[in-house]
Amino acid sequence: MRRWGMAALAVLLMAGCGPAEKKDDGAKPVDTGSAATGKKLTVGLMPKLTGISFFNATDKGGKEAGEALGIDYVYDGPAAGTDTIEKQSQLVGTWMARKFDAIAIAPNDPEAIAPALTKARSRGVKVVAWDADAKKEARDFFVTQCTPESIAKSLMDVMAEAIGPEGSYIIITGTLTASNQNIWMAEMEKYRQAKYPKMKNLSPTPISPGEDKAKATQMAADALKTYPGVKGIFAITSVALPGAAEALRKSGTGGKVFLTGLATPSDMREYVKDGTVKKFVLWSPVDLGYLAVSAAAALAKGELKPGATEFKAGRIGTVKVVGDQIILGDPLVFDKDNIDKFDF
Amino acid sequence: MIRRLLRSREAILLLVLIALFAVLAVKVEGFFDAYNLLERTRYWVAPGLLAAAMTFVIATGGIDLSVASVLALCGIVMGMRRRDAGWPMPAAAGAALAAGLAAGAANGAVISRIQVPPLVVTLATMSLFRGAAMGLSQAKAIGDFPPGFLWLGQGSLCKVPGTGANPADLPVPLVILLAVYALAWALMHRSWVGRFTELIGENETAARFAAIDVRRLKFALYASVGLLCGFAALLHTAIYATAKADTAAGMELEAITCVVVGGTRISGGHASIVGTLLGLAILGILRFGLEMAGVSSQNIIILVGIVLVATAIINERLGRSAVR
Repeated sequence: MRRWGMAALAVLLMAGCGPAEKKDDGAKPVDTGSAATGKKLTVGLMPKLTGISFFNATDKGGKEAGEALGIDYVYDGPAAGTDTIEKQSQLVGTWMARKFDAIAIAPNDPEAIAPALTKARSRGVKVVAWDADAKKEARDFFVTQCTPESIAKSLMDVMAEAIGPEGSYIIITGTLTASNQNIWMAEMEKYRQAKYPKMKNLSPTPISPGEDKAKATQMAADALKTYPGVKGIFAITSVALPGAAEALRKSGTGGKVFLTGLATPSDMREYVKDGTVKKFVLWSPVDLGYLAVSAAAALAKGELKPGATEFKAGRIGTVKVVGDQIILGDPLVFDKDNIDKFDF
Repeated sequence: MIRRLLRSREAILLLVLIALFAVLAVKVEGFFDAYNLLERTRYWVAPGLLAAAMTFVIATGGIDLSVASVLALCGIVMGMRRRDAGWPMPAAAGAALAAGLAAGAANGAVISRIQVPPLVVTLATMSLFRGAAMGLSQAKAIGDFPPGFLWLGQGSLCKVPGTGANPADLPVPLVILLAVYALAWALMHRSWVGRFTELIGENETAARFAAIDVRRLKFALYASVGLLCGFAALLHTAIYATAKADTAAGMELEAITCVVVGGTRISGGHASIVGTLLGLAILGILRFGLEMAGVSSQNIIILVGIVLVATAIINERLGRSAVR
């Protein structure tokens, strides 16, 4: 009986490895290339979490870049609902062990990912941070969607145009530790003081539902009650904006309160079509994934070096490099007239 | 002799581990590499410490769902003592241990004095301690720990001899983990602590009639578990160089999984520290191997789940056929 049980477990374990090998053979013919001189590069693209449309779109761009460059491209990251910070560190270790040439990562925490990235770099892996930055010493370059100033400017201009230069607003973010959101909010405040000194931010500590749409809906609904006179809401993550839009639609306050922020057109299409949200802002996540993978590959090939002032990224064209930041460009403003042109 | 060995659950787990290791080493390119394997073990340390503590709790027929929350809280306490109160690192680390002990004692007091079932108590304190960590830190990460402290998590004792041109490092936290397991083994299997613990789990009334102060022992047990969580928080914080309120989410379940896979009876009465360690290694190796094979993270969760169900079934059958 016992041996029978053991055999069953062993079989199961091996069965568990079955699909693994198949994937291995398909996705990673790197073992043949690594010995040869014309080594095929392997580049990994790691999102903050998998399975949400923003990062799915970056995967699309990354894959496109991988094909254009003729490199092996791998996309993986923490599944929603798991401990994303720890999972990212472990996956970096695995990618280092798999001898990836370069890793492009959107870190959930700039400090916590640093030990794993530093170790990978010490073993010769090139590292590009994208979407959110890692500690400077832990990566070679940071691929930023747009400068924080340009994002802040677009958001504030859209808001001021809708609620007037004396309106009051609140901000919904993701987690309070998300470094990019924090920088954007700081820039928004700076730009407000310079350009719209009479506008008022009613939530100096932003509302933070985390990366959870249902929670964003609930907290936005609560906020409408907490701040009855509020004219505008910024929801500055791709999860918070559709979440907040859902709250406005349910309460029927879409006409009274102006909601804008950052999210993908595919998540916002229905809310824009029914008029709950008039305008929102985003860069192209497809291009962001494309640029991150291109930069990581160029770094591994030695084509992109510190001190560069511009970088040629395939179909995107030439982008600016400022210090150790590679900048995608200015954000786009979406409304009901142009939203159907974008399929991410 | 061999028959007898095969009858022990630890031997079977060891065989499973070896078989798993062999399969992965042959089938997955790059898996069999001492440097990478040893580096990976750093991530097993915190769940491993919680699992060691959990083995004792489950041996009494109890459970402690709050361990990961206590770990997060202790990390935050340590980070804030250092950053905001300006305490030197050793004192801040001491504060983390004290916080862990206090949290564990709170669990223990309610469980042993007011006789509320451990599942209910620790389910509540799981939220309570996590909430406290969130509130104290305003959900912000705390970093900037000194290098000497980070060495505990990221440092290496020495190169491992015989691991080739690119020698593997012996991770400091792995050595600490194994030392804790040696201590736990001695306590569980070579001292009165283990005997009494298992007796409480087997038959609490009988334990009481045997003049064991069950209440005091339980209180001390849950308090010690808290202390060990505080200790795990030191290593965990050092490994990630960050203290964060939402860290180690779900790690309590990971710890329970290791214990159960290791053959400790979930209803109490029989425990195996070696089994827990083997459970930790099996789960860790399996996850790492699948990752190395390029299986996506979502599919790994499913595959690991299937293996756990299989293990649970086998464990159940073994338990039934064993003569007790």
